[in-house]
Amino acid sequence: MPTVSSQDVLALAPVAILALGGIALLLSEVFLTSGKRGYQAFLTVLFAATAGLTAFGATPGKVFAGQATADAFSAFVTITVSFGLALAALVSASWLDARGAERGEFYALSLFAASGMSLLGMASDLLVAFVAIEIMSLSTYALAAWMRRGKKPAEAAFKYFILGAFSSALLLYGTSLVFGATGSTLLSDVARGPLQAGGSALLSAGLVLVAAGLAFKVAAVPFHVWTPDVYEGAPTPVTAFMAAGVKTAAFAILARTVLAAYAATGGAADSAFPRVLAVLALLTMLVGNLFAVPQRSVKRMLAYSSIAHAGYLLLGVLAAGLPAVRERALSGVLFYLASYTASAIGAFAVVGALESNGQPGDEPADAWDLERLAGLSRRRPLLAFAMTVFMLSLAGVPPTAGFVAKLLVFQAAVGAQYLALAVVGVLTSALGAYYYLRVVVYMYMRPAAEGEPAGVTSPVLSVALAVAVAAVVVLGIGSEPVASLARAAAAVVR
Amino acid sequence: MTPLESYFPLAVVFALALVLGLALVGLAALLGPRRPSRVKEAPFECGSDPVGDARGRFGVKFYVIALLFVVFDIEAVFIYPWAVQVRELGWNGFATMAVFAATLVAGLAYVWKKGALDWE
Repeated sequence: MPTVSSQDVLALAPVAILALGGIALLLSEVFLTSGKRGYQAFLTVLFAATAGLTAFGATPGKVFAGQATADAFSAFVTITVSFGLALAALVSASWLDARGAERGEFYALSLFAASGMSLLGMASDLLVAFVAIEIMSLSTYALAAWMRRGKKPAEAAFKYFILGAFSSALLLYGTSLVFGATGSTLLSDVARGPLQAGGSALLSAGLVLVAAGLAFKVAAVPFHVWTPDVYEGAPTPVTAFMAAGVKTAAFAILARTVLAAYAATGGAADSAFPRVLAVLALLTMLVGNLFAVPQRSVKRMLAYSSIAHAGYLLLGVLAAGLPAVRERALSGVLFYLASYTASAIGAFAVVGALESNGQPGDEPADAWDLERLAGLSRRRPLLAFAMTVFMLSLAGVPPTAGFVAKLLVFQAAVGAQYLALAVVGVLTSALGAYYYLRVVVYMYMRPAAEGEPAGVTSPVLSVALAVAVAAVVVLGIGSEPVASLARAAAAVVR
Repeated sequence: MTPLESYFPLAVVFALALVLGLALVGLAALLGPRRPSRVKEAPFECGSDPVGDARGRFGVKFYVIALLFVVFDIEAVFIYPWAVQVRELGWNGFATMAVFAATLVAGLAYVWKKGALDWE
């Protein structure tokens, strides 16, 4: 029986801190009943910061006989997730406060979700990954239902739960088949391939099911149908956290799994597994961008844009299959995730600040319509500027973070000889610029509608937006420190 | 031998179960006498007369209690094997179980204070 060493416990410290934070906030809700809840968001930020710092200083090594791995890769994921959690908590504070729905449980659930995400970044065993995914998902299902009296949130939460449970079942079934073929759920053993000569079909079936389950979580086409409804219906700060955090964590485990799958199935670029992934990436880039174009609702447009970004990220994961460009591709993916976290949370924060404060259960149908942004540059110039920065970053225009991220991923794809896919990526990005810049056009060139409310203002929201803008610009102009961190993180994954 | 071949006996059991089940039901339907009456056609509800629709709604309180029961049920599942092996596991095992129990106690404190245990 393997014994527990202090190394095992220390390596899991970031996960433990986030979980502890969740428990602390749960108890704060019932034991500190002062009615003032402003401290809860700050407490969440504090726990997120501590977890991020702990991950930064953690000693790398295997945890519990290789079931999880604490390395630079997992540290990067944890830091990105913690950053996203802190930003989302600040955004949530003002959004929930304006609706009288701020409770400790909200932050507790966010922290629990983040602990699952952090664990997912470490997982190097399919069963540990499953447990981490469930911790993450169950918390986000509940968060999606936070405004439960509304019709749309209820629909979103129910859809998310049913389809999420289904995808978890696929993942688990795939894991059982992989176990049957390789005799282990450890990714390092899976990478060695099937135990017996005839087991490769079983292994492929299992790996495809596992990949399908993960594709569900990252919202890759054709497993994306839930995304627009869930992202639109969930409370806006929750959507921000889901889009950034779940994507980061799910791509982390997807990258580790795909690398093991490549090794197990021979690793040739023309074998079945890379081809499946290439089709997924192609479809995701095309469908995400094409369906985002006709959307009038900014929130729904951002949901489709999230699908499109999953496509670019898949392209990076695909390129990582080739050992020669693996490091470049994975570091590109990691940088992309960090940049997407800042841009997406910022964009959703602006959308959340502007949406109408309607009664639960009868929200106006046009709560997130483009018209709401019309003339924003006159009403609230700073908010319009922040939104412009986020839109430019999502579109991939220099000098923002999104540009550098896309550049790194497409470079890796070209390096791995996926020329056609890289071209599709560039073309669909150009298409994306249309619907992102349309938002900017509405803000700066359309007159405001009569009686349009100015939206929520609060110091916390301003701080969150300022941090997000700063992150997007700094990652865009001085990308080297983070890019080198990402390279160091990518170098340790094999 | 492919990995699936070793499952052949299992497939035979499944097939046999299916055939047997279908055969028994089918034979009963073919050979059995059939004299329906009003009482026989009514849905069986533990001997008492059926009242109302079966698809009634239950108070949400029951679900909360059921959920809490599951939590402590699982706790028992973990604690029993640990208690059997407590000497072999030593302080390391004790610390692990203490963390687990402390987490549950925190949850119980939350639930209690929140008022989920008050029935009225």
